[in-house]
Amino acid sequence: METILKIGNLYKDFSGLEVLSGITVEIHGGERHAIIGPNGAGKSTLFNVITGLYKPSRGKIYFLDKDITGLPAHKIARLGISRSFQIINIFPLMTVYENVRNAIVSRFNCRFNCTTFLHRHRKIDQETNRVVELLALGDVRDTLASELSYGRQRHLELALTIARDPILILLDEPTAGLNSEETRSAVQLIRQVTEGRALIMVEHDMEVVFGLADRITVLNGGALLATGTPNEIRDNEEVRKAYLGRK
Amino acid sequence: MNNLRTYQLGLGIAGAVLMLLVPYLFPVMYIHLAVEILIYALFAVSFNLLFGYSGLLPFGHAAFFGAGAYVAALIFKNFPGMSLLLTLLITPLFCAGIAAVIGFFCIRLKGAYFALISLAFQMFLYAVAMKWRSVTYGDDGMTFNRPDLHLPILGTVSMGSIQNVYYLSLAIVAIGVLACYLFLKTPLGNSVVCVRERDIRASFLGYNVFLTRYIAFLVSGILAGLAGGLFALFVGFVNTACIDINMSMSVVLMTVIGGTGHFLGPILGTAFYVVFQDWISSLTKHWWILMGTFFIVVVLYLQGGLISLVSIKKIRLLVSRWSKEDGNHIENR
Repeated sequence: METILKIGNLYKDFSGLEVLSGITVEIHGGERHAIIGPNGAGKSTLFNVITGLYKPSRGKIYFLDKDITGLPAHKIARLGISRSFQIINIFPLMTVYENVRNAIVSRFNCRFNCTTFLHRHRKIDQETNRVVELLALGDVRDTLASELSYGRQRHLELALTIARDPILILLDEPTAGLNSEETRSAVQLIRQVTEGRALIMVEHDMEVVFGLADRITVLNGGALLATGTPNEIRDNEEVRKAYLGRK
Repeated sequence: MNNLRTYQLGLGIAGAVLMLLVPYLFPVMYIHLAVEILIYALFAVSFNLLFGYSGLLPFGHAAFFGAGAYVAALIFKNFPGMSLLLTLLITPLFCAGIAAVIGFFCIRLKGAYFALISLAFQMFLYAVAMKWRSVTYGDDGMTFNRPDLHLPILGTVSMGSIQNVYYLSLAIVAIGVLACYLFLKTPLGNSVVCVRERDIRASFLGYNVFLTRYIAFLVSGILAGLAGGLFALFVGFVNTACIDINMSMSVVLMTVIGGTGHFLGPILGTAFYVVFQDWISSLTKHWWILMGTFFIVVVLYLQGGLISLVSIKKIRLLVSRWSKEDGNHIENR
């Protein structure tokens, strides 16, 4: 399969503290790739470096053969990389519809359009409604995002992430804080909406990871411990010692 | 909903008619007050585009108002033959240039840092106005004659009469306020609000946070400059008072008292501020104390500002109550 994201020998340090040291990973088109590791392994930092929140200290990131190392977040997003956040990051004082519409406006490159009225854009309206329905948020379309239940806010977070029709999706602990039933439906939803796209996710719930991922990368202390299929990772002695424990 | 629309429309038309009739209904003194309200209303709307809609609180917004006033005054004084409308076009464009420079440095910062650096730039311009005496006449200020307005069909309209100044101000302020209102209805206006709501999220959706805020800053500077130009025309005199820190603080007070959460809030706040100031300053020369006290009360107990007292929810409630009463009335018959 074709490689869409190539991370080569990536380093990130925060004033001397090395959080990522020499990470090399390749993500293939259409695969679901999980990143696991103990707390402080550098998973979220890796996400933040890929999506442009932080600049790497060393190393290169290529997306679709284009060097995106150190590009600002909005440019990376426009290339087709979308992400969700570990701590819910939505527009709290806007309705669900308006939240999703913000993403759709950006996707249709209308961000700086000042010659038409937003509410007259049929295409934006239709596409927004489609995404709202896709994420089963139709019944709370006109509710303020801050008034949604935690589980629904997670759905909205996912809606914002996929609304741009990205090529690569990064989900940072998409089931954090959900109960087991909500987790099951979230996994179902993730599986459905990421169909045919490449997905990288950080997740602590091993059931979710081994159920969803095609390949798994294990980080420990900022370094790459192993990459492989779920079975390979399960059988890897080092990974067991560092993270999975004996089971 | 339809009822509400009707009432809104009715209210709007009544307001417009009232504003058109002001010169016929009120004595000259009040027309002066009305012009003042109009000009400051545009200033406050431009301020709220930054504070309310972009989430940036500038403490030095008088920089643009004052720059507009000085530019217009210098044109009126040095080029008395220049068309008035052209002057009122050049003025905001010049302020856009100033906003482009100031914004480039300010927009990177947020919160208190943004407030303070905008104040620093305003104080710099104040110092220029104060010290560059050969051009600005320092704190003595400069007087000039109001130029007449030459219109294609109506011919020459004298700006010597306050009625005409009122109508010109009404027209230009209406255009400025409407432009700001329509701007906020466009996708770009939505981008401004979206970036205010959560800039990190917006940038990961592809929004260029800096550029979006920068554009809002430019638009705000243009509108404030236009208000300043009108102010110079209205007063016929410009000194450093229009570019000092009091002016910057006044617009904060007007906007916050009126309410930042609604587009009309700053306009209501301005009307209240100007009328209240006019009234209490005739009673005591320490009127700032009363105004300050009122400001504190609003900030502590009425955070939505005066406009929240007439919020859309309450109007909706009233309308539904009225229509219910109407219904009962008919049933009783």
